[in-house]
Amino acid sequence: MAEPIKLSIDGKPVTVPPGTLLIEAAKQVGIEVPSFCYYPGLSLQGACRMCLVAIEKMPKLQTACTTVVTNGMVVHTDTPEVANTRKSMLEFLLTNHPLDCPVCDKGGECELQDAVFRYGAAETRFLEGKLHEEEKKFSNLVYYDRPRCILCFRCIRVCDEGMDVNAYGIGFRAAHSEIIPNRGEQLECEECGMCIDICPVGALTSGTYRYKTRPWEVTYTGTICNHCGDGCRTTLSVRNNVVIRANNRDHSGLNGEFLCVKGRFGWDFVNSERRLKSPLLRKNGKQEEASWEEALTFTVERLKTILAEHGPGAVAVIGSNRTTNEEDYLLQRFARTVLGTNDIDHHRTADFSSLVRALTEAGATDRYATIEDISAAKSLLLIGNDPTHQHPLIAYQIRQAVRQHGARLYIVNSREIKLRRQSSQYLQVKPQGEAEAVRALAGQAPAAQDLCAGGTGALTALADALKKESDTVILFGDEIQGQTVNDLVTCGLTLPGKTRFVALGDYANSRGAADMGLLPDTLPGYQPLSNEKARERMESAWAAKIPAAPGRNIRSIFEGIRAGEIKALLVFGANPVKTFGLDNAALTGLQLLFVAELFRTETAELANVVVPAASFAEKSGTVTNTCGEVQALKRTMRQAGTRSDLEILLALARLFGQRWTYQSPEDVLREIIALVPGYDIPLPSLLVGRAVPTHPEGRPPALERPDLVFSSRDSLFTSGTLSRYSWALNSVDEAKKPYGHAF
Amino acid sequence: MGNILKEITNSATALAKGFSITFKTMLRPTVTENYPHQPPTFEDRYRGLHVLRRDENGLEKCVACFLCAAACPSNCIYIEAAENTAAHRISAAERYAKVYNIDYNRCIFCGYCVEACPCDAITHGHGFEISAYDTNALIYRKEQLLEPLPASAKK
Ligand code: SF4
Ligand code: SF4
Ligand code: SF4
Ligand code: SF4
Ligand code: SF4
Ligand code: FES
Repeated sequence: MAEPIKLSIDGKPVTVPPGTLLIEAAKQVGIEVPSFCYYPGLSLQGACRMCLVAIEKMPKLQTACTTVVTNGMVVHTDTPEVANTRKSMLEFLLTNHPLDCPVCDKGGECELQDAVFRYGAAETRFLEGKLHEEEKKFSNLVYYDRPRCILCFRCIRVCDEGMDVNAYGIGFRAAHSEIIPNRGEQLECEECGMCIDICPVGALTSGTYRYKTRPWEVTYTGTICNHCGDGCRTTLSVRNNVVIRANNRDHSGLNGEFLCVKGRFGWDFVNSERRLKSPLLRKNGKQEEASWEEALTFTVERLKTILAEHGPGAVAVIGSNRTTNEEDYLLQRFARTVLGTNDIDHHRTADFSSLVRALTEAGATDRYATIEDISAAKSLLLIGNDPTHQHPLIAYQIRQAVRQHGARLYIVNSREIKLRRQSSQYLQVKPQGEAEAVRALAGQAPAAQDLCAGGTGALTALADALKKESDTVILFGDEIQGQTVNDLVTCGLTLPGKTRFVALGDYANSRGAADMGLLPDTLPGYQPLSNEKARERMESAWAAKIPAAPGRNIRSIFEGIRAGEIKALLVFGANPVKTFGLDNAALTGLQLLFVAELFRTETAELANVVVPAASFAEKSGTVTNTCGEVQALKRTMRQAGTRSDLEILLALARLFGQRWTYQSPEDVLREIIALVPGYDIPLPSLLVGRAVPTHPEGRPPALERPDLVFSSRDSLFTSGTLSRYSWALNSVDEAKKPYGHAF
Repeated sequence: MGNILKEITNSATALAKGFSITFKTMLRPTVTENYPHQPPTFEDRYRGLHVLRRDENGLEKCVACFLCAAACPSNCIYIEAAENTAAHRISAAERYAKVYNIDYNRCIFCGYCVEACPCDAITHGHGFEISAYDTNALIYRKEQLLEPLPASAKK
């Protein structure tokens, strides 16, 4: 470590590491230097001159945001000269600024407003009229008001450096300069809204929030995004039980301020008119509105009849990728002990089980990477998947790692994914060739000559490069599953340093569904059902028997329905008809199809009973992201008529005569913490909003067949069935681009 | 004897003094108001029921900036904002108040809202007859608060 630098700011002694910017050094001793164009993490601009300070022995005022501290520097931020300069700079910025704060969306949280209030003179000495320009609509989600823009270029930089989209440039000159989309009149970009978020003034405004309310009029609730598996923390602004915006201005959580288009705008399905508000019961072939009591009693009566006539083998359960851990845990308890069946599964989007087994067998369960490990990594190996679309936060963290500290990114993929722009080696393999490449890297099987573009030489080059790296983080998609995960882990662990792993699963709680045992052969915490000890542990906690034989996986459940062996199917928060492309006849053999859903999906349309479930904004609980970090959802509103899956399950259990004593999701969570291996997490950390990593350990059975684990390959603008009900996600033209389009 | 004379003069003076006020007041204009038989009169700055103003074109002046609601110490102003469009123009600026309620159960007629308003959109009128049998009726809506369209703006 180099010697720290000592300097003085306004008479206060400061000690900081070399290379620190003056503005950051001042922050450390609580001295605020006003700034607009400076933004931590982005390149330096020096455009706004707001941060001018006096440095002794330097002839003129200097910009604190671009000056690197040196030993013995004596800095003054409180001289009359500096105060006057701030005033003048603000007067310049306001030359053409309309100051229409009463109508401006930024009013109340505007950096310019604050600065003028503190440092400025609201009076202007200019007599000339202000230049005016009409507002421009860059897209349905992004609007630009030129007169309010102070040309700080934060938007240009965040889009280029943070998003690697480079959608903006600067057009025209001098007082007529303005921000223009680089690809024509309209934005053609990822529509992440980072530019809106980072704009210090009301120049860039959001299509969903604009002109609706005021920042002090809404309730803010920190919760977790419900779309992809990355688990971004987001703050929902809610007024009158309607969500009106999502952002993460307090930079809390593992994503900092990052949100992708789904997190920032795609929450609007919660407010959708098409939300189910009342249970539906099929009478005379038609689904009709019914009361909750009627719907649940009917379901339980029908279930009892089927169980009595055909036994527990005639009932199957499909769980969700989005419901909370608590709900998933209760669902499998309900299936195994109340219904007495292990025929429970969900749409698996990554092979978490194989990763857990491989790491457990290698004695390396400390090698699960967290989101933070990704951005801090020096070396990254990405196999399969397209994070830009499927895991926007992880893609962002990878770009940060590469940009901020020169991490090397190695990619093995059969498609030309956008992240290859950041890669130091990009190995394009033939379609579906990822697994073969891994087996070859692991020395399990020689690679075919046509595997990758550069012949097997490219593969060897990759292997050699990896051997020179240390602490590599390995990320893999659904292309790698079953035994190949094992090969990858074995091979990865031979690399120098602490290699860590991430399996990339699609949805908000894909990982949690596997962790909580929504699997036919695995109990919560990846304990195999065949392990008598594990089974007895759960049995004694639940005071009920668990059938010992593994159940049917999801494909066999469909086969069982077709064969007429399964008579009743309960579906919670899933749309298997669409996800598995089932034909119309696939589910007709059922005597009972019960669906708990937010919307009338293809599966719900076929059901005898549909009950309206609560969305993520309407419930509390925890979710686990694809890296295994647990975070808490916080209820922020209610939607009349709906119930959370937890409440639905408790009601069903009650009707079955069970005496479950859970009063709230926390009660279930306490049981999970006590019982589920790997989940002994500190509750307080969770409740204060941290992401708590888990380290599951277990030897779940091997993957039964290759068609169980598959990703939906959602794009930036799709999110399973949910995105259909989001106005924002469908409103942008980019959503119509072919899958995998790189902006 | 002198005592009696003195007493008489004293009483006469006292009477004269007392009645001088009576007679003086008799000649002064009446201030007692014959409400409700006759309309009451107000000082100009009397703070009565609010009036939401219109501009010379009949557009609403309020731009739904929420400053009045923020200033209100009894938190009785409720606003929902919306965007003007060319086809549907309510105020001259980009936004207008789609909903504007004042809850007169709570309003203390302090006038802070009027002072806060950057557009002179809200003012105190002279209305005061707001008693009602139902507290719900004391929540005034925008339609009740708006001043009527000026004759010049009527189509
Ligand atoms: S950008 Fe800020 S200062 Fe400018 S009009 Fe909007 S709120 Fe006011
Ligand atoms: S919304 Fe578009 S222009 Fe704005 S930062 Fe994101 S990608 Fe760039
Ligand atoms: S639009 Fe906003 S972020 Fe971009 S240059 Fe203008 S003020 Fe800065
Ligand atoms: S990256 Fe994923 S978790 Fe984060 S905002 Fe986007 S969809 Fe939500
Ligand atoms: S009445 Fe005035 S202060 Fe209140 S919202 Fe309207 S413009 Fe703003
Ligand atoms: S913050 Fe230093 S020049 Fe803008």
